[in-house]
Amino acid sequence: MTNDTHHSVRINLEKCLGCVHCMIACPTKAIRIREGKARIIDELCIDCGECLRFCPEDAVESKTTSVSDLKAVPYKVVIPSTVLYGQFDNATLPNEILFALRRIGFDYVYEISTICELNNSALEMYLNAHPTPRPLISSTCPVVIRLIQRRFPSLCGHIVPIEPPRENAAKILRANLPRIAKVPASSIKIFHITPCPAKMVSINHPASMEKSYLDGAISIRDIFKTIYQTLHQNREETIMSHLFPETIFSGTGVGTALSGGETRGLKSHRTVAVSGVRDTIRALNQAELGLLKDVDLLECTVCPDGCIGGPLTVENRYLAKSRILRLVAMMGERTVVDSSDMNQLYNKDFLSFHFPIKPLESPPLDADPAQAITKAKRRNELFLQLPRKDCGACGAPDCRTLADDIVRGQAALEDCPFVKKEEK
Amino acid sequence: MTENNVFRQEFLVKGGDFLRAGNVSWEIRNLLREIGMPSSIVLRAAIATYEAELNIIMYAWEGKLHLSVMPGRIHILAEDSGPGIEDIELAMTEGYSTATLEMRELGFGAGMGLANIKKNTDAFVITSEVGRGTRLELTFLTNGQRP
Repeated sequence: MTNDTHHSVRINLEKCLGCVHCMIACPTKAIRIREGKARIIDELCIDCGECLRFCPEDAVESKTTSVSDLKAVPYKVVIPSTVLYGQFDNATLPNEILFALRRIGFDYVYEISTICELNNSALEMYLNAHPTPRPLISSTCPVVIRLIQRRFPSLCGHIVPIEPPRENAAKILRANLPRIAKVPASSIKIFHITPCPAKMVSINHPASMEKSYLDGAISIRDIFKTIYQTLHQNREETIMSHLFPETIFSGTGVGTALSGGETRGLKSHRTVAVSGVRDTIRALNQAELGLLKDVDLLECTVCPDGCIGGPLTVENRYLAKSRILRLVAMMGERTVVDSSDMNQLYNKDFLSFHFPIKPLESPPLDADPAQAITKAKRRNELFLQLPRKDCGACGAPDCRTLADDIVRGQAALEDCPFVKKEEK
Repeated sequence: MTENNVFRQEFLVKGGDFLRAGNVSWEIRNLLREIGMPSSIVLRAAIATYEAELNIIMYAWEGKLHLSVMPGRIHILAEDSGPGIEDIELAMTEGYSTATLEMRELGFGAGMGLANIKKNTDAFVITSEVGRGTRLELTFLTNGQRP
């Protein structure tokens, strides 16, 4: 496919009608309609998945690991996101979901909530040890990392250099599974079950390490039906899973599926949790201007209400949220992570980034500042000639972007249907 | 410097318009990035412009920000019609503020604005006439050296 990029979403050219929904929804104006089909501009896309939400034709596909690809894997390990626990009805407990995953054919199912709690404690330790800079920004949402790299380069140094729970869980599994399960390390493949496509980018193109500890990410949407059917196959096993809970869940950890999940436990720090891509951009702008210096930790998740609002989820996010909150209440606030274990891991830098996150700046109008000034002037002149209807008919999301594309040599004034009419 | 290689744009700021506070500095910041100004300078310009924009919103009736970008320098002129500043030296003092309680409740008016502008610019000129308005001239040098 010609529109294959290193991003986590791809346009299915057969399904794409070339309407403007994804293009208008894109918060970084990374989509254009060219020759009747949507195209994603590699350097501008941050993998937020807004296009996927807005496409009425289901033509935006996530490039996640497909369930059929798993067959060839000798030893399949899965780490489901805690978001998965909110996707089923209230009667379905997390243990049953983990049980169902085992029945589906995963050789090892790893419950992540403990690691989420571990991550929260690590964040707290980091905050205590580093009085500057402020605010620190949590690293969990891979889209926030991309946004900072591309649009807020000066905030790169504000990102807490601790890998997100999914990576640390996979790292722990890699270190221990060959011994515990008696399988060669080379036959182990570890997959995350994800509510968003962006996790795939952080796996294929990690920003803070050479190679991700994960081998892939499976979309909740793709695997939901299989889990659902398996759940209802054998009631007896379900009862057994209730009677023999094999896993210790962390209420705090399960709560990280929701916005504020990382900050809620931080009693002695000033925290702000922001969700949604536009509000995140606003908050990062304020952080960059130095307006949030009195905030210790800024938690940003670009999906509404946090990961629970991910574009690859299946359940209404309000219902899903209420279920997660119910689970958190059921599991309680008790800590399941041993603080001395935690201290050791933290001090050994086991949880840390391999290298700091570096800016990835988008190209200016021209490499030569004098030329760039000329182009900026030309762009303003062009903009005045456009109708400012922002209709998208030219293939750009709005008139301003069309003017920008023209000076960058990627569009022509005649692409605007209104300009043509006036000239004739 | 010929007029040919100067980029100019004007931005209107309305007094009391807290809803749009920050929009002009956001736009100027993005423009400077697109023109390819070094990010450390863009950041200083964004911070200083934000303060200038907010000063107009908080204290003036209305004002304009005139941006000029030319090779080697960025110049921003913030001009407002407003009450003006009686004692500029006092106004420049960190922590000194005439902000109302309402403004402070919105999180503004900590008395750092003008000092912050001075800190982030390469040259800063402020003139004011009581009852008429205030004029700020912000200059940033973009070819490496800070005076």
